[in-house]
Amino acid sequence: MDIREYIQSGIIESYVLGLADAEEAAELETLRATHPEIEQAIQTFENELEVSSMSHAVPVNPDLKSQLFNQLNLETPGSNYEAVDDPKVHKLESGGKTPFIKYLAAASIILFIISAGLNVYTYSKYKKVVGENRQLALQRDQLYAKNSSIQTRFNELGKNMQLISGPDMIKVALSGVPGKENSQAVVYWSKSNKDVYLIANALPQAPKGKQYQLWALLDGKPIDAGVLGDCNSVCKLKNIPNAQAFAITLENEGGSPTPNLEQLYVMGKI
Amino acid sequence: MKAIQKYTEQELVALLKQRDPNAFSYLYDNYAAALNGIVRNFISDDQLADSVLQDSFVKIWNQASTFDSIKGRLFTWMSSIVRNTAIDTLRSKDWKNSRQNVELTDNNSEIAADNALNIDAIGLRKFVGGLRDEYKMVVEMCYFDGFSQSDIAQTTGVPLGTVKTRLRKALLELRSRIKQ
Repeated sequence: MDIREYIQSGIIESYVLGLADAEEAAELETLRATHPEIEQAIQTFENELEVSSMSHAVPVNPDLKSQLFNQLNLETPGSNYEAVDDPKVHKLESGGKTPFIKYLAAASIILFIISAGLNVYTYSKYKKVVGENRQLALQRDQLYAKNSSIQTRFNELGKNMQLISGPDMIKVALSGVPGKENSQAVVYWSKSNKDVYLIANALPQAPKGKQYQLWALLDGKPIDAGVLGDCNSVCKLKNIPNAQAFAITLENEGGSPTPNLEQLYVMGKI
Repeated sequence: MKAIQKYTEQELVALLKQRDPNAFSYLYDNYAAALNGIVRNFISDDQLADSVLQDSFVKIWNQASTFDSIKGRLFTWMSSIVRNTAIDTLRSKDWKNSRQNVELTDNNSEIAADNALNIDAIGLRKFVGGLRDEYKMVVEMCYFDGFSQSDIAQTTGVPLGTVKTRLRKALLELRSRIKQ
């Protein structure tokens, strides 16, 4: 027989708790006499059981002791609570020289102090957690808002992407005129419905009170194609039935009837 | 004030066998609460629990001469007496009709928690409740209801070998849970 396996089989626990049947008990009682490790395991578990029962003790009705001693016709001797190793477990049930109520009172005071301390601690922790929670809620809301604006932008981009990549779109690159070489824009002009879209890739930020305006040029004559508002990425501008070129100028806010050619930024022929 | 008495287990056993009331009083003061905790695993009713504890101590007093320290510790022996008394009481005809007492002992920890000094107490039954169903059943039937393993095998139709294995495994698991 493998003794270690036997010890770990649960037979020790079953025996000590009085649950093993006669056959199992007899076997174990024979083995414990010849195997000190089995004896040791039994004692360890018995000890564990005692310790655990002590820590799960439930205080006893203080009248019970005298009832018991009366029933057995014994004189109730003084309490031995002084000899108790674990005061936590036994003080309450001692019915002897020191009145039970004193111990109860002492215990109440101690518990009250502990409880008061715990309350302060718990309250400060609570405050902290509430603060953190508020912070998190705020961050969450910000993230939601950010997410939905990104979502919108993403959808818009997707739509624009489809629009400008259509097969009937004419792409007109507008490049910077001398002195404005860094500026750039692209016009997408639909052959079929003559709608005009613009992507201002690189135009300087318009100064306050000013707006960029797109012009379609037909036979040397400028036609107003609309001002660039606050559109994201792709701006839809005015419908232009016919044009040979496009150009952008900087005009007063709201646009002008005729272009201010001194403020010409970009231009491109179809 | 009386001189503080303290006995070793050996001395205590020897004195109890000689029916020494002081030793018995010492035993009561030191172990009644722990044994009451065991009673409360079985019985939640205050009055009935008191009577089981009292009956148990009567048996401990009367049967001390039969205690054999070769077979185990005093506390183990007393625990068995308490468990058997609790089971017998629950089975007796007065209480046969109130089986709910056993179920009600799930409230054990609440009872203990009412008592300020036992805020953390958790009854054995709470631990048993955490076991998987087939383990829970054997422990309930064997430890709490006092059925033998062969009774359980017969009643449930589970083979005896399986009952034994389940009981042992369940007890091992309980032990490790209680230790944690």
